Amino acid sequence: MAKTILAVDDSGSLRQMLAFSLKAAGYGVIEAVDGQDALDKAKLQTVDMVLTDQNMPGMDGLSLIKALRAMKRYEKVPILMLTTESGDDIKAQGRAAGANGWLVKPFDPARLTEVVKKLIG
Amino acid sequence: MVANEMTQGEQVNKQVLHLLSGVSTHGDQHLAEVERDLVQMDVLLGEAIKKLCASFMAIHHAVDQQQEAVKALLADSMPEPKYAARFEALHGEISHHVSAAVTGLQFQDMTSQLIGRMLKHLTGLRDVFGELDVSDPVLPESSNEDMLVNLNRISDRVSARCSEQAGGVRSTVKQHHMESGDIDLF
Repeated sequence: MAKTILAVDDSGSLRQMLAFSLKAAGYGVIEAVDGQDALDKAKLQTVDMVLTDQNMPGMDGLSLIKALRAMKRYEKVPILMLTTESGDDIKAQGRAAGANGWLVKPFDPARLTEVVKKLIG
Repeated sequence: MVANEMTQGEQVNKQVLHLLSGVSTHGDQHLAEVERDLVQMDVLLGEAIKKLCASFMAIHHAVDQQQEAVKALLADSMPEPKYAARFEALHGEISHHVSAAVTGLQFQDMTSQLIGRMLKHLTGLRDVFGELDVSDPVLPESSNEDMLVNLNRISDRVSARCSEQAGGVRSTVKQHHMESGDIDLF
């Protein structure tokens, strides 16, 4: 059964490119438009990985990670940040919140799927 | 009192009021124009990327089907090895271009974030210009002391606005290289 990835980004084109790349690599994709939408969807269905943007209206990526890590079933699920931000401070915050990795936009589909494969197979 | 009967101090006060009001009004008008253009630019870029994404998906789907068809033809007709190799090379070439397109189509997201940041700065600047507008009108006949008090008030309001906005809009897009970004696994 295909592993499912929750792709969270307020940009429609980014979500489309993420879904396209991940589906082409054989993964199932659930899309969410912001942190709150992602949290709602993550509660309905446990996913195998979360890929989230940082800057989104309402709940941002860091808050989403903290909320997910507070849920028993998301304690160990890999979470990657995919954002335009690349500063050491914000990366350290992501790591402290429980992110497993940090990807700076724009992503290259092959490199992205390589990382995803490494984390969830 | 007619203009030529004003003292020099009164004329200066009137001129200062006129200047402040002009800067406030014209500054705001120009910034409002820039704001409208930026919003429109964001809409146009958004629409352009939406259409490009849709076309990209359609082209990719069509090429995929074409490749499947060619593959089936090659499998049935035992072609010369050079044709099979050419087909494989083309397949790789197409994959490379698809990856480049996926990366390229993400740049609008960064542009849109930058436009959003510019709009927040413009709103802040319009607020600052708004503070230059003398809401509590100082009469031209006011003394220099009255005028000084009012100018100090305006200056304080401008400073307060600037302090409110300082650091309020963090820069989130600093990409200078035009390739895909770095990956760090923790």
